[in-house]
Amino acid sequence: MNISRNWLAEYIDLHEIDTQEMADMLTFAGVEVEGMQQRGVNDDLVVVAQVVQKTPVEGSDHLNVCMVDAGEGSLRQIVCGAQNYRVGDKVPCALPGAVLPGGWQIKEGKMMGHASCGMLCSASELGKPDKEHGLWVLPQEYEVGTPLSKLTTSDTLFELEITPNRPDLLSHWGMARELAGISGRLLKADPAPSSVETKPAKESILLEDPQLCPLYTATRISGVKIGPSPEWLAERLVAIGLHPINNVVDITNYCLFELGHPLHAFDAARVQGALHIRRAAEGEQFTSLMHDDYTLESQDLVISDDSGRVLALAGVMGGLNSGVTESTTDIILESAWFLPSTVRHTSRRLGLGSDSSYRFERGAAAWNVLRAGARAVQLILECAGGKAEPTAVAGQAPCTVSEKQAATATVLEQGTDAKVYCALNQVALDWKELDVMTGGSIPHMEAARILKRLGLQENASGLWDCPPWRLDLKRSCDLLEEIVRVYGISNIPATRTSIYTAESAQDRAHDFRCTLSYRLVGVGFWEVQSFKLIARQSMDPTIASVEYALPIKPLMEGDVISVALPLSEDHAVLRPSLAPGLLAVAARNMNQGVEVLRFFERGRVFRNTGGGKGKDIEMEVLGILMAGKLDPASWTQLRPKTVAPEHLRAVLELLVPKCELSLAPAKQPRKAAILGADIQLGGQVCGYFARVAPVVCRTLGLPTDCYYAELDVRKLQQLATAPFKVKDLPLYPGSGRDATLVVPSALRHAEVLKAVGAAKEKLLVSCRLKEVFTDPSGEKLATDRKAVTYSFTYRAADRTLTAEEVDAAHAVVLKTLTEKLHDVTMR
Amino acid sequence: MKEQIVSVRAAALEEILNAQDMKQLENARVHILGKKGELTRIQQGIRDVPREEKPAVGALLNEVRAAVNTALDRRLVELQQAADEQSVSGVDITLPGETLPNGGLHPISLVREEAVRILRRMGFALADGPEIEDEWHCFDALNTPEDHPARNERDTFYFDSGKLLRTQTSTVQARVMEQQAPPVRIICPGSAFRRDAIDATHLSAFNQIEGLYVDKEVGVGDLKGTLEYFLKALFGEETPVRFRPHFFPFTEPSFEIDVQLQATGQAPRWIEIAGCGMVNPAVFENIDEKTGKSLYSGCTGFAFGIGLERLAMIRWGIRDIRLLIENDVRFLAQFS
Repeated sequence: MNISRNWLAEYIDLHEIDTQEMADMLTFAGVEVEGMQQRGVNDDLVVVAQVVQKTPVEGSDHLNVCMVDAGEGSLRQIVCGAQNYRVGDKVPCALPGAVLPGGWQIKEGKMMGHASCGMLCSASELGKPDKEHGLWVLPQEYEVGTPLSKLTTSDTLFELEITPNRPDLLSHWGMARELAGISGRLLKADPAPSSVETKPAKESILLEDPQLCPLYTATRISGVKIGPSPEWLAERLVAIGLHPINNVVDITNYCLFELGHPLHAFDAARVQGALHIRRAAEGEQFTSLMHDDYTLESQDLVISDDSGRVLALAGVMGGLNSGVTESTTDIILESAWFLPSTVRHTSRRLGLGSDSSYRFERGAAAWNVLRAGARAVQLILECAGGKAEPTAVAGQAPCTVSEKQAATATVLEQGTDAKVYCALNQVALDWKELDVMTGGSIPHMEAARILKRLGLQENASGLWDCPPWRLDLKRSCDLLEEIVRVYGISNIPATRTSIYTAESAQDRAHDFRCTLSYRLVGVGFWEVQSFKLIARQSMDPTIASVEYALPIKPLMEGDVISVALPLSEDHAVLRPSLAPGLLAVAARNMNQGVEVLRFFERGRVFRNTGGGKGKDIEMEVLGILMAGKLDPASWTQLRPKTVAPEHLRAVLELLVPKCELSLAPAKQPRKAAILGADIQLGGQVCGYFARVAPVVCRTLGLPTDCYYAELDVRKLQQLATAPFKVKDLPLYPGSGRDATLVVPSALRHAEVLKAVGAAKEKLLVSCRLKEVFTDPSGEKLATDRKAVTYSFTYRAADRTLTAEEVDAAHAVVLKTLTEKLHDVTMR
Repeated sequence: MKEQIVSVRAAALEEILNAQDMKQLENARVHILGKKGELTRIQQGIRDVPREEKPAVGALLNEVRAAVNTALDRRLVELQQAADEQSVSGVDITLPGETLPNGGLHPISLVREEAVRILRRMGFALADGPEIEDEWHCFDALNTPEDHPARNERDTFYFDSGKLLRTQTSTVQARVMEQQAPPVRIICPGSAFRRDAIDATHLSAFNQIEGLYVDKEVGVGDLKGTLEYFLKALFGEETPVRFRPHFFPFTEPSFEIDVQLQATGQAPRWIEIAGCGMVNPAVFENIDEKTGKSLYSGCTGFAFGIGLERLAMIRWGIRDIRLLIENDVRFLAQFS
């Protein structure tokens, strides 16, 4: 909301308080100052000057050297680029040292070789609306040398963000009242008339849904003369960024920004019979003042008349068919209270917000209904003439206090023949709570004084009556907040208390996850954080899409969780796997020329456990992507190797070194993978390992071999952090024997290990693959064979083995290998 | 015999001294002290020495053997030293290093870990909760009015199931309190979601750290002391911190916290960094009503929340928040 300092000063004494102090005061009242703009000139060094001479600058198409009379006794030379002035014109001149709005200081300078001792100004440079598009040409009667600040007004505009609990601050009077309460500065007279003449509306106003609109008042004023607003009023509106329209409309706007209650004026000639405040019919049409058409629903509240036409969307906007025009002579002025949720619903659904709906949505005070109406009537009679009838009142103010309190509540009474009653909230203040909250640092006397300054009063039963505009004050803690806020948290001493806290399961999980990250960073991986909302499908390779998911468990139709109303198709579903994000990151970076692609991400993935019918689950996983070159090219290594499956496997083995890792070909395929395998740790499936399908890599613009693993972090943690005892170091040396087997190319390493295991040789402690030899030419070895060399280590725990013992054990192993494996020869 | 020994000694020492490398030195050793070495040969001839001369010859032999050994050792050290020096001659240490793959943590992880480290030192334990939440934990429990704008599918991501993506990590406050009796002293780093279009300053999915301390007689002074300590640990001991009154439905009184920071060549500025407040009693009532136990009646506490993207942007002068989700190595490498 915009607040004009000058306007505010009508209601509160702002003497000797500078702009920054005011901004601080607002800030510490809980109002965020989003911006401050100086309007007009307040620097005495900006004076009226007359252009005496004007000579074009050679070589420039727009600059002139001007000699101006700024009332100093001698002429001043200024270079000026504007085009709209003539010799003899009076214009504003900023003398060297002057500070213009925006903090811009004027200095003497040179332009294209000509001295320029000051600046001739446009209206916008002085923070005024720019009408001329060039210099601000001033009236001839202004005397040269007079500071402009003496001839025009200056103002400061505050752009404020008001929190949703304080609708009472959404007006100049409301803000002045608050600042006076906080600072103790003098609050001037309430602009609203102290009394208002009312009459029962009877049949003239029909409240067809008293829940949505419990109180509606209308004042008929006949014989008004529509015309431009008086200058003081127009200036107020312009100051806060509104455009004056005509006196009646301007007054309704003025009252909204003065007292905070929205009003609406109908042209009485365009209203037939009674006003009906009713729900819209489904599909009913409405054309707004702004000439936009809307289709209404039964949730929308409208103002209608006997003809059935919709005259206005209640609390949101008036209709084109009933607004005040230049030919209007009689008006009906509406001041009412609408249920906040109704106004919010309509305004949101139609995307139609107004200063009025903004206030009703947040909750306008019913207490303000008659006050604002009366204030507007007063101003209309003053500015547009006419004769007002007593205000017709239909319904009653909604009761904001609880039933229990209603019996004892203090009630305010407004109006004459038809009364409006507003019961005040009463709150019991728990002084002990105040002492706990503030450590006893706020004296109770001081706290009571603060509440009184904010308009609260202690009643006979020891409860606090809250002012009718503070609908947010309902409980003890609301009053405590007020006391702390005004007393100032800076005046409450800081304390540092702590307690011993047991380590939580999440603490341990967190530490384990950090270990995983550090290990991966240590072997050259970049951690990435990709977006959790991804596309279902995307043609754009930089957009992560479900198509490239490589989850630990294959996805079934319906497992992917979609948000109901996505912002875009690119972010429509929750990621079921980290692969899509990591692939998009790899593609983006490869595109940038990165050759070693090592990325990982830790985070949650989401899926439904039963094709959309089961539970939605979240799982903490680790995704690791390895693609491109194994090492960066360097002067020691011109052509580094390309990443192969064993490289990613090595990384996995490093992550959980204590567990035995094995990869078993996956039974269920994933679309984006070839060579998919379940990652097993200690026999349990903990993840999925894949070579990303080359067709996917080509689609993504990732023309390289790409490997990916996704791991269940919780399972990893269980396995990796299981308690263990150290093994004794061997006391006696082991003995090694190598063996080379020539086997069919398709024979897997795992089968060899299995055969070795079948030997059950007690002295064998390890069997390690040493070399794989193949010969594509077929010269040294047939092309369908490979020679695999294994190193075997034999050891006994209680003695050094003799050569004969080792040979015997090795022979047993070799014999078993020849028996168990088909088609194998020893070399 | 003595003359013979003296001449062998002279020749041996000269041979040792002339050895130019390890191999020549070894040859010299074998030549002098080996099985067929000259000194060995002489020693074998001692049998023929007259008995009365034997002690003197024996002593001389021992002295020569010791001198030869000393010379061998000394020459060995000299030759090793020379070889060591030779091994580095001509090495260009200005050559660039061998390129190893480098890596690093994401900036959001870096700020999160730093904040978590400080807060854990202050006695906060980690907690978490689901990102797919129900309305009760996200709104009702936290005292959000029934018709609050955030409860709208234009501002919050809902699912057809009626659940939603949590709009703040404050949901974890409710999750923890319904499972645990006071005192509670927890932090929760995690993701939150709002239906904001992505631009230079907004992401629809972002990261926060939530904190909650509930006990008997926790006051505003504790909130102030705790958060001042935390922010000074994060931004520097001398950093001014201020609390501005604000509004959140789940705390009362509520504050926003600013820290005063100064970029080089600029005037110091107050920068909004976190939100906090005393837990609204309505939140405790909601929890107690849900659990059917009145564990939290009579408790007070404070809660705070801090945005990690914002923290990273302030710390490193990141102008476009989208850099944080693009994961360009040229960006990430600046944090390694």
